[in-house]
Amino acid sequence: MVSSGSELTSNVRSLRSGLFRVVPIVIGRLVQVVFVLVAVSILTFVILSAIPGSVIDARIGPLPNFSPEERERIVASLTKQLGLDQPLWKQYVLWLRQVIQGDFGYTYQGLRVTDLIAQRFGPTVELGLVSVIGGLFGSLIVSLIAFRTRFRVMRGGIQGVMTLLLVMPAFWLGLILVLVIAVKFDFLPSGGFEAFGDGPGDHFKFLVLPAMTLALPLTALFFRYLYSGLRDTENLPFVVASRARGLSERSVVYRHILPNAILPTITVIGLVVGSLISGLVVVETVFSWPGLGSLLVKSVEVQDYGTVSAIVLITATLYVITAFFVDVIYEIVDPRTRRRI
Amino acid sequence: MSVDNSSSLKKIIRFARLQPKPLLIGIAILVPFLIVAMVPSLIAPHSPLAIMDVPFLPPSKTHLLGTDEIGRDLMSRVIYAARADIFVSLSAALIAFIVGTIFGLFSGYVGGRIDTLIMRLVDVFLSFPTIILALFLIVIFGRSEWVQICAIALVMAPSMARFSRGTGLVLRKRGYVEASQISGASTVHIVRSHILPNSMPTLLVAASVLSASAILIASSLSYLGLGAQPPDPSWGNMLRASFSFVYQAPWYGVGPGICVTSVASAYVLIGEGLRRKFGRQRSIMSSAKSLASL
Repeated sequence: MVSSGSELTSNVRSLRSGLFRVVPIVIGRLVQVVFVLVAVSILTFVILSAIPGSVIDARIGPLPNFSPEERERIVASLTKQLGLDQPLWKQYVLWLRQVIQGDFGYTYQGLRVTDLIAQRFGPTVELGLVSVIGGLFGSLIVSLIAFRTRFRVMRGGIQGVMTLLLVMPAFWLGLILVLVIAVKFDFLPSGGFEAFGDGPGDHFKFLVLPAMTLALPLTALFFRYLYSGLRDTENLPFVVASRARGLSERSVVYRHILPNAILPTITVIGLVVGSLISGLVVVETVFSWPGLGSLLVKSVEVQDYGTVSAIVLITATLYVITAFFVDVIYEIVDPRTRRRI
Repeated sequence: MSVDNSSSLKKIIRFARLQPKPLLIGIAILVPFLIVAMVPSLIAPHSPLAIMDVPFLPPSKTHLLGTDEIGRDLMSRVIYAARADIFVSLSAALIAFIVGTIFGLFSGYVGGRIDTLIMRLVDVFLSFPTIILALFLIVIFGRSEWVQICAIALVMAPSMARFSRGTGLVLRKRGYVEASQISGASTVHIVRSHILPNSMPTLLVAASVLSASAILIASSLSYLGLGAQPPDPSWGNMLRASFSFVYQAPWYGVGPGICVTSVASAYVLIGEGLRRKFGRQRSIMSSAKSLASL
């Protein structure tokens, strides 16, 4: 487990030969990813087909202009046309083929689910990315303060606040931020959205509060890993050696301890994507941010199963793929883990 | 009699002083909530559904937390909400704990194909973001309390299984397990009387983290409108309502918010205390991980 600072830089130098060795591991993981994705889609399909009529509803919507008899006739002909009278596995193959082509059917209002999701995708990605980056910077600052401070009270205080942030539900943290920043001081709007094209300034005004609500728990989470990484690295021989050589404290911390301590934090990013997606659902609802999360909640309210299952499938896929990329990046950056997987 | 009493009290105090501080603080926070959840009618000043006064009264002596948008007493609603939230989260955590532990310990102990199969299944469930899977299940199977409990348990059981598998893997190579195998004990017997008791300390730490996640998921779901249905109160749906009135009644959501956070942090403190008591280092990572998968 012991590694030195110079070993790390030589690792980076030998990255190309390292990449070559990584290939079989990546292929192994890729097979696993495909397996998981197929299983995820089967599970989604099974849950979806547990509700009678939902597949047809997802394709045609409520058809308000037809009488019940006409509707029944249409449903019957569609059942045949869509292959719903066929065995379940054939239905699954049919459904999967459409899903892979990006066809998720229609919402109750007759909109294409794919269009709706495409429209909501941008704001969600923006909010998520801004929060993760904010959380990373926040945790970097906070853990360096906690690591370098001479005052125990300060360190204990930071740890206490970080733990509290980790157990606060997003909507409660959001409410506190709204009450303090929007209601008491009237700095920022308490919710809403403005397209970037309509006014970049306003766009960012609306972005700040939801992004903060998501970034603060992420800061706390990254802090846990980064801080313990810093503490663990501090006692390794190469740090002691560089201190003994008389390097300045600043150079020891930033050039030797920090680069090694950051590595474990990378794995957490993959872990965080899941909690981030769950957090996005709540936070987008809190601040009426027009993303996938609030679309999901709205679709749940109107019982639009087609849209719900599409979003479930998409988020799960994104999650699996992100986890895969994080693993691969970690493999490349830190060869010490290679034998493990 | 009184001498006896005071000496037993002293014994309790002496015992308590030997326990780690976080454990005591956690229990001190949790117990009042449990009592309130069990007998809300004895503690609440009013009925949670009765319209008592004018809407949006600020906190005062008659209404400790003020009144809500139709004039119901918020204090009573917060107290009655404890029943719903704590019952749902504790039952879900318990089910997830039992199911996850059984699958995990067997998987870790037996190993081989069964282990691979169970762990791949766990991977599949863990690929869904928790709240989204729970939400999906509740939408499809209805909004009753038991569906909620099962949905929350189902999204948490896989991480519990993965965790307990680790302890199963470690313990299967212990001498007493091998001795038991040689003397012809069945798998069920070995897991029940050797693996389970010996992994209990670590599992209990995981269980407290599980309970913290459960209360957070449960309150998030009721915030999203999938928990207790209005007019029945839950901390989540009260907080949802409070967002519509942040300007008229900023104090509205404060009570429920503090309650959710206190209960969740009580569980985390208990977990931390247990961890210190049993002195296992590896659970730190897992507790952070389980919280991350919220």
